[in-house]
Amino acid sequence: MKQEKTILQEVLDRGFSRRDFLKMCTALAATLGLDYSQTNKVVNAMETKKRVPVIWLQMQDCTGCSESFIRSSQPKTESVLLEMISLEYSEVLSAPSGHYAEKSIKDVMEKYKGEYIVVVEGSIPSNDIYLMIAGKSARKELEHVCENAAAVLAYGSCSSWGGVAAAKPNPTGAVPVTDIIKNKPVIVVPGCPPIAEVMTGVIAHYVTFGVLPELDHLGRPKAFYRHRIHDKCNRRAYFDAGLFVENFDDEGSKQGYCLYKVGCKGPTTYNSCAEMRWNGGVSYPIQSGNPCIGCSEKDFWDNGPFFTRVAKIPGTQTTINPDVVGAAVVGATIAGVAAHGALTALDKKKKESKDK
Amino acid sequence: MSIPTIPNSNKPNVHHEHIHSKIDLSHRPEASYETVSDSMIKIYVWELPVRIFHWVNALAILLLMVTGIYIGNPFVSASVQEDAYYSMLMGWVRYIHFFSAFVFIANLIFRWYWVFKGNKYATSNPLKRGFWSETFETVKFYALMKNKKPHYVGHNPLAQLAYWIFIGLGSIVLIITGLFLYVEPQPESLFGSAFIWTSLLFGGDSFTVRSLHHLVAWGIMVFIVIHVYLSFREDWLEKNGTMSSIVTGFKTESKHVIEDQHDEEK
Repeated sequence: MKQEKTILQEVLDRGFSRRDFLKMCTALAATLGLDYSQTNKVVNAMETKKRVPVIWLQMQDCTGCSESFIRSSQPKTESVLLEMISLEYSEVLSAPSGHYAEKSIKDVMEKYKGEYIVVVEGSIPSNDIYLMIAGKSARKELEHVCENAAAVLAYGSCSSWGGVAAAKPNPTGAVPVTDIIKNKPVIVVPGCPPIAEVMTGVIAHYVTFGVLPELDHLGRPKAFYRHRIHDKCNRRAYFDAGLFVENFDDEGSKQGYCLYKVGCKGPTTYNSCAEMRWNGGVSYPIQSGNPCIGCSEKDFWDNGPFFTRVAKIPGTQTTINPDVVGAAVVGATIAGVAAHGALTALDKKKKESKDK
Repeated sequence: MSIPTIPNSNKPNVHHEHIHSKIDLSHRPEASYETVSDSMIKIYVWELPVRIFHWVNALAILLLMVTGIYIGNPFVSASVQEDAYYSMLMGWVRYIHFFSAFVFIANLIFRWYWVFKGNKYATSNPLKRGFWSETFETVKFYALMKNKKPHYVGHNPLAQLAYWIFIGLGSIVLIITGLFLYVEPQPESLFGSAFIWTSLLFGGDSFTVRSLHHLVAWGIMVFIVIHVYLSFREDWLEKNGTMSSIVTGFKTESKHVIEDQHDEEK
């Protein structure tokens, strides 16, 4: 079986030299956020570890995460797909279909009990009628496939938080993977879609070390979600200087000023866009002149509008402009206080005349 | 429209003598006083630490609100297009905001100490007998309805409740959310790890925490409007020097308030 080979053997079989292999390992270590001195750990793992079987499930999704995944440049998608993991089932990338595809899930679950990884793309509807896969409800399919899994990777904002399907009014009752899978480690990799290198990086980390990466308080890998966009933003100097784009057609926009006033969600968004950027490090939305829409944050569809600074009323999916509403409420209070003062004066006068 | 009447409430300093507050704080130190006439006394209600807290708090809130509104929506910026390194406007405004915030926090911690150390007007206990029924009487008093509200030398129970909600709970929510926002860039530092988990109290996402910070800040503004109005109103109706008392510490009250004290001691 192919899976029995080590990753090094896979690479050599494909006609690469050992030198190429070491280069790949060094680049991979850098992507994982490891120190240069840790490279030999990666090399060692790649020389001894076998490929990890992966089942990739798609729930209520748009396949955007798959599309992003196949555009990874470091590690290259093909090296992840062909050398590090063994993608046994994917509705987009698998060759088999129908009963053959279903059979490959069954085979993996039996043969690699407790070893395989389940990748989930898309949210799961609470109401079963909204999504059936091969005659089974999405929820049952997910529970079934995850039974023997080593770990679950929630790729994208839908499987991480509910995403677009869970946006107000959430007609399907969409929930994230973490609401359903409670007894397995779930790594949350949010983004709409997540950065390709982040997706492959998380898999590479698991393959390399055999353990899950360090996670933050929301279950996201710290290596990629420890900073806000705002803290690493290439336009941050303009923020601190107080220089802001007011309109998309003004001089500030041409100068590359901070996009804070046109609704940039960078200050509340945890992701690696500002460091790793997109499409192999070419650019990312803010660099290209568009405010961050906060796509890797929970309920980001409801945190809009995208191009206005707003505040959310906690516990609801309603956003308001806090300053306008706040000033209005204070204004109403002043009016109320003035009215109360007038009534008090009348009351006082009435009593004084009564006493006379 | 008929205005309900309050018996005797127009006669300064001789009213309400039959109604005594049932809220018993006699275990706390009484305020000192001096007699100024046969019927009047000068009573030292707000001790110096309370007054210092009040004005430091007021100044900190003013600075925090002005800078906070700018940070939320930068309403001024350079009119001439320039490079980023000539100015540090947002940087300085944020610096003032953070500096005021730490003054605000230290000041509040100090006030909490004084809750336990100060005289009986520096504290409040909503669990005491009579607190809630007298709060209801105070609501009726402010609604200009017939009521049995006693005269209070310190804060009435409704005012105490407002302090619990806005200055107590509101400040704590502002401090927790504010410290979270402050440490967000360094979640793994010592200071950061002490506060970064607090977002979980509010659902976990940064945007909700930030929103709460904005909304509660405006809640404090509403409190200030009502607080200032009712203080002036009290001064105007009672003629007891409420407004100057927050500078001098003294209120001029009828001797009856001291008789109350002796009653309690008996």
